[in-house]
Amino acid sequence: MKNDFQERQLEINTFTQRSLFITILLFLIIVIFLYRVFYLQILEHDEFDEAAFENKTYTVPVQPLRGKIIDRNGIVLTDNIATFDLITNPSEINDPIVFLNDINKVINLSESEKTNFLNSFDDRAFFNKELILKSNLNEKDIAKFEVQSFRFPYVFVGKRFRRIANGNDSFAHVLGYAGVLTDTSFISKKFNRNSWNDALYSYANGLIEGKSGLEKTFDDVLKGKFGYKKFEVDSKGRFIKEIDYLPPVKGDDLQTTLDLKAQLRAANLMQDKKGSVVVVDVQSGEIVVLLSAPTYPINKMANGISKDQYDELLNNKDKPFFDRSVAGRYPPASTLKPFFAFHSINNQLINWENVIRDPGYFILPDNGRMYRGWRQIPLGRIDLATAIVRSSNTFFFDLAYKSNISDISDDLIKFGFGNRVCLDCFQEDSGLVPTPDWKRENLNFSWFKGDTVNLGIGQGYMISTPIQLAYYAAIIASKGDKKKLFISESNRQNSSKEVITTEAFNNDDWQKLHESMLNVIESDLGTARGLRNSKEFLVAAKTGTGEVVSLNSSAEYNRIREDISLRDHAIMIAFAPYENPKYAISVIVENGESGGGVAGPVALGVLKELLDE
Amino acid sequence: MNKKIHLDPYLFISISMLSFIGLFILFSASESSFGAISRQLIYIVLGFFLFFIFSQPDPDIYRRFSFLFLILSLFLVASTYFIGTEINGAKRWLKFYVFSFQPSELLKLALPLFLSSYLFHKKLPISFKDTLIAILFIFACFLIVARQPDLGTALLVTISGIFVLFLAGLSWLFIFLCLSAIAVFSPFIWNNLLQPFQKDRIWTLFNPESDPYGAGWNIIQSKIAVGSGGIFGKGYGQGSQTQLNFLPETQTDFIFSVLAEEFGFVGVLLLVMIYAFVLLRCFYLAVNARDRFCRLVIGGFIFTFCFNVFVNLAMVVGLIPVVGMPLPFFSRGGTSLLSLFIMFGIITSMASHKKFMQR
Repeated sequence: MKNDFQERQLEINTFTQRSLFITILLFLIIVIFLYRVFYLQILEHDEFDEAAFENKTYTVPVQPLRGKIIDRNGIVLTDNIATFDLITNPSEINDPIVFLNDINKVINLSESEKTNFLNSFDDRAFFNKELILKSNLNEKDIAKFEVQSFRFPYVFVGKRFRRIANGNDSFAHVLGYAGVLTDTSFISKKFNRNSWNDALYSYANGLIEGKSGLEKTFDDVLKGKFGYKKFEVDSKGRFIKEIDYLPPVKGDDLQTTLDLKAQLRAANLMQDKKGSVVVVDVQSGEIVVLLSAPTYPINKMANGISKDQYDELLNNKDKPFFDRSVAGRYPPASTLKPFFAFHSINNQLINWENVIRDPGYFILPDNGRMYRGWRQIPLGRIDLATAIVRSSNTFFFDLAYKSNISDISDDLIKFGFGNRVCLDCFQEDSGLVPTPDWKRENLNFSWFKGDTVNLGIGQGYMISTPIQLAYYAAIIASKGDKKKLFISESNRQNSSKEVITTEAFNNDDWQKLHESMLNVIESDLGTARGLRNSKEFLVAAKTGTGEVVSLNSSAEYNRIREDISLRDHAIMIAFAPYENPKYAISVIVENGESGGGVAGPVALGVLKELLDE
Repeated sequence: MNKKIHLDPYLFISISMLSFIGLFILFSASESSFGAISRQLIYIVLGFFLFFIFSQPDPDIYRRFSFLFLILSLFLVASTYFIGTEINGAKRWLKFYVFSFQPSELLKLALPLFLSSYLFHKKLPISFKDTLIAILFIFACFLIVARQPDLGTALLVTISGIFVLFLAGLSWLFIFLCLSAIAVFSPFIWNNLLQPFQKDRIWTLFNPESDPYGAGWNIIQSKIAVGSGGIFGKGYGQGSQTQLNFLPETQTDFIFSVLAEEFGFVGVLLLVMIYAFVLLRCFYLAVNARDRFCRLVIGGFIFTFCFNVFVNLAMVVGLIPVVGMPLPFFSRGGTSLLSLFIMFGIITSMASHKKFMQR
């Protein structure tokens, strides 16, 4: 039997042992805990420090300005023009309605501006973000506000830019425009996706991207690099303060080969006409003028156009948005005749001395079918040079008949037809060099000899674009050297020279071809002799009249002529100065009827503008 | 001799330090608003007053009234079912004018007091019958609090009872049997007794990143706060996680993270050292207390207190699931603070009243 004392000792011992047990357990927990804290605070500190920093920062992109587009003489074609917006800090404004009443006395606000402001006010105030009250202030508004600005410490005038193109819209198609960004796929992980809603815009219309023309083709060059601003934010995303700023990098300027003055001259000459003017530098492949008419209001397209006006443009039967200069599809018509001179001599079908009789028509020996151009008179006995000067259809029907389609199409491709000839044109069309295979696949008909004959005068299935015709003219002008065309200086190095000249068609032949083209204007019999006295330098040229519809009788022709849209296209290719050609040009005036009479003055006017300087 | 003021200077200084450091951290966690902590300051002053009051009586008084105290506490807790104020779906508070009162805090005192007085004259080892009776009381207290629902407090009340039972000499065989039974039945408990949000908490402990904006948010933000504090911390009032509100519940469950963020590892060490000192001091006081009742009460109180502290600490650094268990002396909460002061008052009373005679 245990006594009290023993009992008491046992109880004390039990208690002491057991509380020691718990205490040791607790100290074990302390050690584990301290190790855990040591791990978090010292071993993994950097990682958590980074996480804490990420938590409290919100990075918003800062939009860069796009580069300028510059013409060959250093004149800015597309520029960033500053505009001014009235911007508020809603978080500092107690009562938006009272505020609106006050500021409305200084700057008149429209109802929609007030509504927009009130709709966004609470949200912007909560997150401590800026809110635009009125966009595009005029100078009077700015002056009025500056005088009263001391009364509105939380309102300021912010500068935003607009993309403005020079040149009275004559450059609309070639420069293109930059509009509101739709493709957001480039947005990198660097920025939280939501942060794009808070991007700091440099442009009045927000995030923009090239939509057409050079703006689109060279978007990567022009667009620049986004900068960022880092803000300290709390867990609800409210802005506390700015903590870091990396300025955006402005896009590179795009140096082009375009010539503003010549372009404006071309636009002036093409006023109220439809068609295209393309001028290229014969030696280098530079595109100097690239005009499509009619044009469209490019700056409105970039910075806001009314729905009505846009619809009107879109539905306009003259298709102002369509870039005829690189995508217009026309028959080359008689401008293709110099090509046949090359082709026939190169393939030894004839020589310069051969003479044939031109009765004003051509009868296909195979089936007796008669080919004639309307308005063709008998030209009698003519040689190749005369056939070019007077644009004999019979002569070239005959040449085409003597050749065969595969040889012709091979040579056409050498002159750039059927291919893109420009390194950096926007949505360039390849045109079409027809072949028997093509006809079978697309029209489900076999190739007739008559098709080849038709090709002799540039009619039928063949399709060329104005820029291809200018390229073709430049090859002739340079006597067989071809260089791909380009607009951006950056592509100069990519335009390498190829030589078309062969033993069969040598420099003498080129010279003879030049002479015949010179005589198109200078000879008393030339189809463009009317232009002879309107210039101080010699121009070699070839006219053409592209048939919109094929007709066989002149009675039918006269009836059709009543409808302007069915009248023939006037075409001219030319190069100048004659002795040492610098510029080659193609002009197409839709429904202009006379290559020499309508397209010719346009071509000469533009060449004069370029050569007089 | 009767005029002596009963006070343990080590304990007094320790809890003074804890309560004022707590107030200091709470100030930072309340966006440096004096209004927010003035209420807490009032509780601290009131707490010290109660601390002195409860230090003075002879421990026998506590023993005599322990059963009555337990019944009263249970009654108050039960009354929250009917007249309690509902906050976040739990009825834990009784509202008296401006002051809210959480009666379950009283149970943390009442249950160990009662069990100690019930067991203090029992022969060792404790009989099976007495064990069962004790467990019955513990289970009743657990149920009544857990039904509020307040799992954190229910757990603490239970653990306080178990500590007393264990310290009083619960047989190892019984302990072994209980642990085996828990191991067997825990799948059943997981499937049938835990609420979905409690399961969530356990799951997210093991994989907080699985739901970073949902259940895992709190623990991720807490770890970031602690980890980014480094050795010396970011400085008082400079913790971005705290001040920019990334850290949740800064004034209650996660107040330790505030200290860890702003004072770093150094601050954490200091705090842990104070708690450890309190533990060691009370261990010493318990072993040297005048009788078994005092020993059991001091032991039950202090180990529960430490359990509470370390559960909170382990929780905020992601060692265990998030259970609503505030950090004693730091977290905002009047009833809890007052009951802590009363508890240390009672410990002081138990420790400083020496016995007059040797039996």
